[in-house]
Parts: sequence; C-alpha cells; structure tokens
Amino acid sequence: MTAIPAPAATAATDGPPLIVEHLTTSIHVGSDRHDVVRDISFSIGPRETLALVGESGCGKSMTALSVMGLLPAGVASVTAGRIVVDGVDMTAAAEAKRESMRGDRIGMIFQEPMTSLNPVLPIGFQVGEALMQHHGLTRKQARARACELLERVRVPAAADRLDAYPHQFSGGMRQRVMIALALACRPRVLIADEPTTALDVTIQAQVLALLADLQEKEGLAVLLITHNLGVVASVADRVMVMYGGDVVESAPVAAFFARPTHPYSSALLAAMPRIEGEGGLQPIPGQVPTLTEMPVGCRFQSRCPLRIDRCALLPPLAAVGGDPDHRVRCWVRMDT
Amino acid sequence: MNAIPATPLLDIRDLRKSFTSRRGWPIARTSVVKALDGVSFTVGAGEVVGVVGESGCGKSTVARVALRLQEADGGSVNFDGADVLEASKIDMRAIRRRMQMVFQDPSSSLDGRQRIVDALGEPLRVHGLASGAAVRPMVARLLDEVGLPNSALDRYPHEFSGGQRQRIGIARALALGPDLIFADEPVSALDVSVQAQILKLLETLRAERHLAFVFISHDLGVVRYFCRRVVVMYLGRVVETGPVPEIFVDPRHPYTRLLKVSSPEPDPTRAVAMTFQEGEPPSPVDPPKGCHFHPRCPLAIDRCRVESPVLRDVAPGRSVACHLAT
Repeated sequence: MTAIPAPAATAATDGPPLIVEHLTTSIHVGSDRHDVVRDISFSIGPRETLALVGESGCGKSMTALSVMGLLPAGVASVTAGRIVVDGVDMTAAAEAKRESMRGDRIGMIFQEPMTSLNPVLPIGFQVGEALMQHHGLTRKQARARACELLERVRVPAAADRLDAYPHQFSGGMRQRVMIALALACRPRVLIADEPTTALDVTIQAQVLALLADLQEKEGLAVLLITHNLGVVASVADRVMVMYGGDVVESAPVAAFFARPTHPYSSALLAAMPRIEGEGGLQPIPGQVPTLTEMPVGCRFQSRCPLRIDRCALLPPLAAVGGDPDHRVRCWVRMDT
Repeated sequence: MNAIPATPLLDIRDLRKSFTSRRGWPIARTSVVKALDGVSFTVGAGEVVGVVGESGCGKSTVARVALRLQEADGGSVNFDGADVLEASKIDMRAIRRRMQMVFQDPSSSLDGRQRIVDALGEPLRVHGLASGAAVRPMVARLLDEVGLPNSALDRYPHEFSGGQRQRIGIARALALGPDLIFADEPVSALDVSVQAQILKLLETLRAERHLAFVFISHDLGVVRYFCRRVVVMYLGRVVETGPVPEIFVDPRHPYTRLLKVSSPEPDPTRAVAMTFQEGEPPSPVDPPKGCHFHPRCPLAIDRCRVESPVLRDVAPGRSVACHLAT
C-alpha cells in the first residue's frame, strides 16, 4: 500500500490553510467591467467551516471559482486581492503551479456530481487519476488506493464497484464518489459548492455527516457555498452573507442566528418557511438588480426597508454589538 | 378549514401505475417500477393538500395520472362526480378546464418563441372563452392578478426572471378558471426571497378564487406554510396522512419522523439528526418485501419484513401505514 504524505509534512506554514485578502473578481463585457465579488476577505483554519450564503448571482460561486483559479478565461478574472492556499500565493503563481495545487492541496465538490464525473470512465480510475497525476502512483497502486478511498466515504461493496460507471450510482452515492475524488490527495482545503442541493433531505443529512466526519479526521478547512440557511445552521462555524458581490454580514454561526443584523440577513431568515413553530412568511420585495443596474453604494438599498440617504455611499464592514467577530455592512445597523 | 366536506372535490382511490423498462446488454431484462402502488386520498373544495416524499416516491406520477397526461393501470379518480379515468375525449376537455397544472420549471413548459399574450391566449381561444380582440384584455387581467405589468404581454419567456416565469406559469393555469390546481414543486427552483413571494401569491389566489391545490413538494417547511393536510409517500405507497401542523409536530410513521429530523432548520441549537444510516435507499425497481421502509426503519420487527402494513386510522383525520404506530 502506498502511503500518501500526510498534509502536515508538506504544509508550508502553520497558518490558516486558506487566506483570502481583498479579493475582487470582475466580469468583462466588451470594455465594461462589472465587479461580481467586491473586496472580500476571510481565512479558514484547520477543521473550520466557513459558509458563504446568498441567493443566485450574489457572487458566492464566483468566489469559489476564484479561489480554485477556475474562472472562465476571457470572461471573468481576479482584478484585485490575494488568495493564499497552504502558504502559496495563488494569484501570483504561474498557471503550472496552480495546476499542481488544484486537486492536490485544494479539492472541490460541486452540486451535480454527474456533470463533474466522466460518464465513460469507471469510478475507480477517476478516483485514482489525481494520485497518478500528482503523486506519480502507478495504475495498480492508484486502483488500490481508490478502493480505500471509496470505503472511507462508505460506498458499500467498494471493491466490486471500482469498475462501475457513474450512471450506475444513485445521486447520493455519486456525491460520495466526488468526495472520495476530491480528498484523494489529502488536500488541506475543500471547497464545497452546494454539495447537497440536488439530494433528498435524508441523503443530504448522510452526506453532511460524512463530510463533517472526514473534515475532523483530515483537519480540512472547508469553504461551504450554499443558499440553504438550514444547512449553515447545522454544519458551519462561521457564516458570511453575500448580496450583489458584497459581504453584508459576517459572524460566528450562533451569533448570526441569534442576532441577524443586516436588513438582508433578517429578511432572508424571515422569508424561510419553517417546520417548527408558526412562521409568518415574509417575502423580500423586488429582486436582485442585474449587473448593469447595480445601485451605487449599498447594493441592497433598492429593496431595503431601512434605506437612508447615506446608503448611496458603500458602508464599511463594521463591528456590531461590541463583538469584533460580528460585522455588518450597514449604516443603520452598525455600532456608532 | 380542516374539516373534510362530505363529498370531496377530488377522490383518488387505489391508483396504480407501473412503468416497464428494458435495459441491459447483451440480454435485455425487463424491469417493472410500481410508481403508484394503490394510492388513495381526497381533496375537498378549496382545500390545500400537500404530497411529500423523496425522489422516485411517485408524487409527480399522481398528478400526471390524475390529469391523464399518463394513463393509469388501475384504480379510480373522481372529480366532482365525474369519473376522470373513464371520461371520453370530449368530457376530458371539460374536466381539464377545471383541473390545471403548474410545473416546477416554467421555462421548459413555455414555448420560447411564443409571446406571453399568445401563450396565455391559446387556452382561452381553444376553449372558446375569448376570441379576436377580447383575448388581449383577458390575458392582461390574468397577468395583473399574478403581479405582472401589462408590458409583459408582448415579451418572450427568456426576458423574465425565474420568479416572473413562475408567475406566468400560474397565470396560464388560472386562464380557464379552474377549481383545482396540481402544483408540482412550483417553488423548488426559486431563491428563498422569491419563493416566499410566489407562496404568498398562491395563498392570495387560493383565498380569492376558492381554489383547491394538490401541492407536490419535497420541502416540509414550504408544505407546512401552504398546506392544510399532508399525504406522505414512500416508494409508491401512502405511509401517512394527517392535518397540518399535527403531522409535523407529532409524526407517527418512522419515515415521516426521519424526514422531519433530516430537514435542516435555520437554528443552530436544533441540529439535524446526522444519522449514519448505511447504504442506499432501496430502488423502486426492486422494493423491499413487506413494509417498503423496513430496511431503514429503526423499529422494524419480523412482521414488517413480510407483511405490508395497510393505512389505518390512528386519530381523527390521521392515518398511518405502520404495524407499530399508535
């Protein structure tokens, strides 16, 4: 059995595996530039889960793609800021270096595993491929390791299913295969973009439990992208709410659900139908402005019940309730 | 509102539907999926009944078979005194005016090259409710009712956001003045803030038009908000029915309980039960003998493995298909 070097042995620093500083990502349309992620900063430590939440078009997936270096070329690019993965500055690194980081130091799982798995290659090969690529394992070694990995993600009868194809697996099992694939090289950072959105709730609970278990064992820093505040409450340590490319609130999970402070955060929670207790459902009026119609200043102002003249200036992400970890981007709600 | 009227508007009894598929190489094998294995429930006039369950449980097939988009293998569907499954083509036209459907993804059920006024005007013309110059103002009124401006009339589906397209889908279902709407995951593809807008709209329409709904969803929170009664399905069978909120406060079937504890709520003090159930849920192609749920059931006894439980009353308005439920 070939040993894969433990992550600690190759770690360049003891700092957080993922650091993002003042990241701005822009989409280029002709000569126009639209910022879809504006000046966002965070870091994630080992065994920590940071959830990025928000609705379609808020920039959460663009943040994930920026970190992975997978932005569509010629359309979108990182226009400012720094992304440091395991001590390596991804924004300054050459593409060859980034290529060697992806799948090795940093893994990613997506919403729909069927679109990321190759339908004409057997599962065992796909799970082992990264190990051949990044660690020079032979086919035979990679196959043996793939079998271990599938057992780790609790695919039943893993040894018999190495030669099976993606379509022969159910949705939940395919997502387990994706997790095995993402963790094959023992990355330090895992980016999970809506990993359970396509799954039934009982399967979602299984997959989230599996992820939490593997995170603990591997010491992973997890960036969880989701629109589901229920999932955030269940698995995240910290949460960042995004709207129109801006982080509007950032807080530890307990503080966030106890005191959602940005008008968008509280509106989002009030719009969620709940199973427990009577919930008077409160829709948020209007819709997210399109990229070309984004208001100057606070981008939520067009739908905000608390709007004041000052909202034409972008508020800073400022502490609230005297808690330095709880920050909000709102002139009305921030501490004065 | 919880009381069931003496004669329900819709009465589905022992509905059965199987799908066969031939797959495999070199020797193809025929497999049979019982999508509906004796499903019964009723919907009163103006009542909202939720049908919940996971992928492949047959919840969408109920709607398709009841509307005769697919033919049933057995059972009966009675709509306001008419036998739907035996109705002639002409009778079916009259029934369809009163039973309409809203789909999950309106962009795939709207013709991309048809303007909104034509898409919504078509049923009006086909059913002879309006013609010529009378169509446009009628469509405008429908759009107004679902909260869309007059300027939408001459636009094409791709010019609208997901929430607006769902409003168009709802307007189309309303065009013929139905009494009952089958809504198949109507808000599942929408963002939370827009989802709440659409749910509020459906609630308003229900009250103003005294509409009955069969509301198909996998989201218990949405069902709790919108529905008065719930039917829980598992692999083609009804496992529990009961009124809201009782069925969520005190679920009696182990599967309903599992659904409830698995649904994440936005409250970190109430963590989801992260059950480590192993393996895959059983395939509908080859469902387990006896109670379909027994391989995943923490309470299963020997009887559950051989004998399929029937739906029986356990409390007023509540029925459960479980040998052990009380």
